[in-house]
Amino acid sequence: MFKLALRSLIDKKLRFALTTLVVVIGVMFVVGSFTLTDSLRSTFAGLAEDIAEGADLTVRVDQSFGGDFDRATVPAAVAERIAGVEGVGRVQPEVAAINVFIIDGDGEPIRPPGPPALGFSFNPGAFFITEGRQPAAPGEFAADTATAAGNGLRVGETYEINGPLNAEPFELVGVFNFGAPDSHTGLGQTMAAFELHEAQRFFGTQDGYQEIGVLVSAGSEIPEVQARLAAELGDGYSVVTAEVAAAEQEEDFNEVVDIFNTILLVFAFIAVFVSTFIINNTFQIIVGQRVREIGLWRAIGATPRQVSRSVITEAAIVGVVSTAIGIGLGLVLALVLRAILDLIGFPLPPGPLTLQPRTVVLAMVVGLGVTTISSIGPAVKARRISPVAALTQDFRLGATGLRRRLIAGGAAFAAGVVALAAGMTGGLDTTPRFVLLGVGAVLAFVGINIVSPVFARPAASVLGRPVRALFGMPGRLASDNAARSPRRTASTAGALMIGLALMGLAAVVGESLKKTFVNIIENAVEADYYIQSAATGFGPPAGFPAQVADEIEALDGIDSVVRIQFAFGGLSVDSEPRDIVATDMALADSHFDSQVSSGDIAGGDPLTALALHSDSATSLGVVVGDTVEATFPDNQTETLTLVAVYEDAAIYGNWLIDGALWDRHFNRNDLAFASVRVAGLSGAADESQQAALLASSRAAIDDVIERYPTVKVEDKAEFRQTQEAQITSFIRVIEVLIGLSFVIALIGIINTLSLSVFERTHEIGLLRSVGMTRRQLRRSIYWEALIVAVFGGLLGVTVGTVFGVATTLALPDSFVQVVAVPWLDLVVFVAISAVAGLLAAILPAVRAGRMNILDAISHE
Amino acid sequence: MTASPAQALATAARAVAASKIYGSGDTEVRALDAIDVDFEQGRFTAIMGPSGSGKSTLMHCMAGLDTVTSGQVIIGDTDLTTLSEKDLTLLRRDNVGFVFQAYNLVPTLTAIENITLPMDLAGSAGDTAWIDEVVGATGLTDRVKHRPNELSGGQQQRVAVARALAGRPQIIFADEPTGNVDSNTAGEILGFMRSAVDQMGQTIVMVTHDPVAASYADRVVFLVDGKIVDELADPTPQTIRDHMTRLGA
Repeated sequence: MFKLALRSLIDKKLRFALTTLVVVIGVMFVVGSFTLTDSLRSTFAGLAEDIAEGADLTVRVDQSFGGDFDRATVPAAVAERIAGVEGVGRVQPEVAAINVFIIDGDGEPIRPPGPPALGFSFNPGAFFITEGRQPAAPGEFAADTATAAGNGLRVGETYEINGPLNAEPFELVGVFNFGAPDSHTGLGQTMAAFELHEAQRFFGTQDGYQEIGVLVSAGSEIPEVQARLAAELGDGYSVVTAEVAAAEQEEDFNEVVDIFNTILLVFAFIAVFVSTFIINNTFQIIVGQRVREIGLWRAIGATPRQVSRSVITEAAIVGVVSTAIGIGLGLVLALVLRAILDLIGFPLPPGPLTLQPRTVVLAMVVGLGVTTISSIGPAVKARRISPVAALTQDFRLGATGLRRRLIAGGAAFAAGVVALAAGMTGGLDTTPRFVLLGVGAVLAFVGINIVSPVFARPAASVLGRPVRALFGMPGRLASDNAARSPRRTASTAGALMIGLALMGLAAVVGESLKKTFVNIIENAVEADYYIQSAATGFGPPAGFPAQVADEIEALDGIDSVVRIQFAFGGLSVDSEPRDIVATDMALADSHFDSQVSSGDIAGGDPLTALALHSDSATSLGVVVGDTVEATFPDNQTETLTLVAVYEDAAIYGNWLIDGALWDRHFNRNDLAFASVRVAGLSGAADESQQAALLASSRAAIDDVIERYPTVKVEDKAEFRQTQEAQITSFIRVIEVLIGLSFVIALIGIINTLSLSVFERTHEIGLLRSVGMTRRQLRRSIYWEALIVAVFGGLLGVTVGTVFGVATTLALPDSFVQVVAVPWLDLVVFVAISAVAGLLAAILPAVRAGRMNILDAISHE
Repeated sequence: MTASPAQALATAARAVAASKIYGSGDTEVRALDAIDVDFEQGRFTAIMGPSGSGKSTLMHCMAGLDTVTSGQVIIGDTDLTTLSEKDLTLLRRDNVGFVFQAYNLVPTLTAIENITLPMDLAGSAGDTAWIDEVVGATGLTDRVKHRPNELSGGQQQRVAVARALAGRPQIIFADEPTGNVDSNTAGEILGFMRSAVDQMGQTIVMVTHDPVAASYADRVVFLVDGKIVDELADPTPQTIRDHMTRLGA
């Protein structure tokens, strides 16, 4: 039987190649993503060690939640106590800040596209000078070698630096390697280092330190010194060894790697899932075509078991071959992805690719598993073929009944929807939530695929109507052929459907986001200008110097400036971290109408006031006037009073406090956002006077902004445009990635069409002999592909729209409020799938055209 | 093309020194060996011969389904050996009719759609009155909306003959049209073909190995080893069998 399976594969080289290719793509993605992320992990492990290497022990304030840069500082007095502990050799206090941008010689800010722009106090334990000297006085700084070399920075020159507070000129006095004396460890971050007190002043960290590195004196044991330090400092401080610090750092890096890995795996999963359809379809057709051959085997003594085994063996051979190729190509993919990362600004140190045994095992599970599992159904059908089939002319495989399809498909779909709903709304952790969503999506798609043959025939005949009308007999044949085997049409279309459904989902959610945003801008925004970092890209929003807001506020003709700061997990209530926004509460409502439903945002003491979005207020069970115990990242707890509840969370998020309260608990001074109102607009006589006021204030603001290259100003229209463009480009990226499943679906159509054409060889010979031209024949195959592809496209877009609307409704109001369907995009998607269908038909059509008429006629 | 006695002897198709050679050197096979043959208009000709005699090859070459290695094949006034693939296709569509042994019909099309298929491919409506007449002659008027799988083998072959007739081609080629059916059904099909010649003036060339089938023809041409070795006018099953015995087939 093995020999038979092998022979069957060799006979049909093209089919074998296409089927293999489909599996290869899935395996390739699995291997590529794991290899790349494993390699990243080992790179990061090395980097984390380098970072922690500078000190034997690190002392810092305990932090149970919030971002690294929001950690409370160690007071200077504590540093002195540390120095007095027995066994402590050198004490190295450190401060650091993000959003410290060096402006290069041409006046352009040096902006790493993804990694942060960092500022540090110079740390001789980890920074190794390669040129010049370390910064020792105010007005001096040193830069890392990669940043200096990459941007032509020269020692001795003076450069402007945008810090969290303001922009100041500094002289570059030295260039250093980070991590090791002879090589720089970098991931594309920029590093500016200052003398310790100068760094404190420039970053606005007052007299505290974020960390204090400790080198133990010769002859002292690190654990003993660690114990002594812990005893001396007491609760509220932690003293960790370099290993622990490295492990923590590595964990931070791995979080990023995990997100990256998850994204890649989601696409690998989509690819694998789509290929399952195609392989199943292919084997279904192959068995269908070999009914008489299989009947003959049975007649001459093959057992049903041998028959089904030969089908599964054939699948397994495809699986093994594609796994092997997929692993090889996966390694190539990892290299390509690494090169792309490098290109977009995440240079990774070159290192060997890590192909772990786990990756190989997974590749085999995917490659072999997908092919074998998809061949089980066809194998079962094959074993039911009776020997009589060999003798009967018109034996056809039994098709699953309509009723059974509706019941089975409906059940799978319903189960999928329940799982999706549970995944979206249930208060679950990330992993079970993703599993639920994944399982739900798979079940829903499988359900749709089981049911869709029921619609395939009517849909094909409706879609076929214009084709018939326009293209005469070839159109007629195309439409009949598409309707001929509903199951085949449906599962070919199914492969397209999945990709399109996901694209449709992304498009609907994206469009809703955009509409929500536009609504807010149109209705809620009272401010005239918006100030934010000019950084673009997909990194976290960069901050900008607070001084920009001060300078604009001081200009003539400006009514007010509202400053906005933001912290992920900046507050803990009921032991749960909450993202917070800090602003000037007295002015907040005059810049953005957040639809206050009770209380008054401006109506409290800035140092204890809290305003909440209604969702958060409801879930917390508080009303205006109630108090809330809130803990800050510096471990201090305050009793806040709820002063207002609002309905629109678009600008202020769910938790809003005043800037004064922020300043008490955060060292971070850079602003995330600021808005400006121009004075005198309401008192202006007419529109032209208003325009003049706006223009003159804009000119004044532009003058300020010009001195801060990392900052930009936008009016309402510009702001709206850039925000829309950002959402659009994000969605496009997702769509392009999903587009990969298109390639697989394309191969699926080629495969199915080729097999269908082969199946109809005799018929094609007949048509050609009675006068169908090659061109007419090719066209009939094109139109058939078109009908199938448009069917898949419509199905996918419909499913995607329904899921997209459901998702939009399920998402919290603070994220998206309006449901909007991008009709034009959806039409374009269907058009794209139509084009994909036509492209896929080229090969089968040309092959059909080349068939020898006489051979075809005599083919049974 | 209605039949008239004056045209009865004009040639619908002919082969002039037509040879078909497969392979070369030692493996050379002469499927047709410089054959000269005429098929007169309005007559029913049967081609007979043992397996491998070249009878099917002759028919395929005459019909433009295959090409000769040398010599000429002429249908009406057209020399097929000068035509491009596309022109050959159009010639088949407009001037030649076919009936094959089995599976003559496109399964997705109804009987009437199968009959008008060549016209539909040409994008012309065809001669409706004539098509009605042809359909009437098949005796299947009430079944024309059925699909092939709803028709018996004999009915399917009659539809196939009707399709060949519908376009009023210069000539119809039939390749063992009764090879796949029982003798009663065969009579039904052959009778229909005979009446097409007699009443509609159609020219038909049929390849067969069955003396009874061949006896429906006006003339039988015998092929052996790619050469025409004999022919017989107004045959009966018995005279055909005698000839075949003599030819050692």
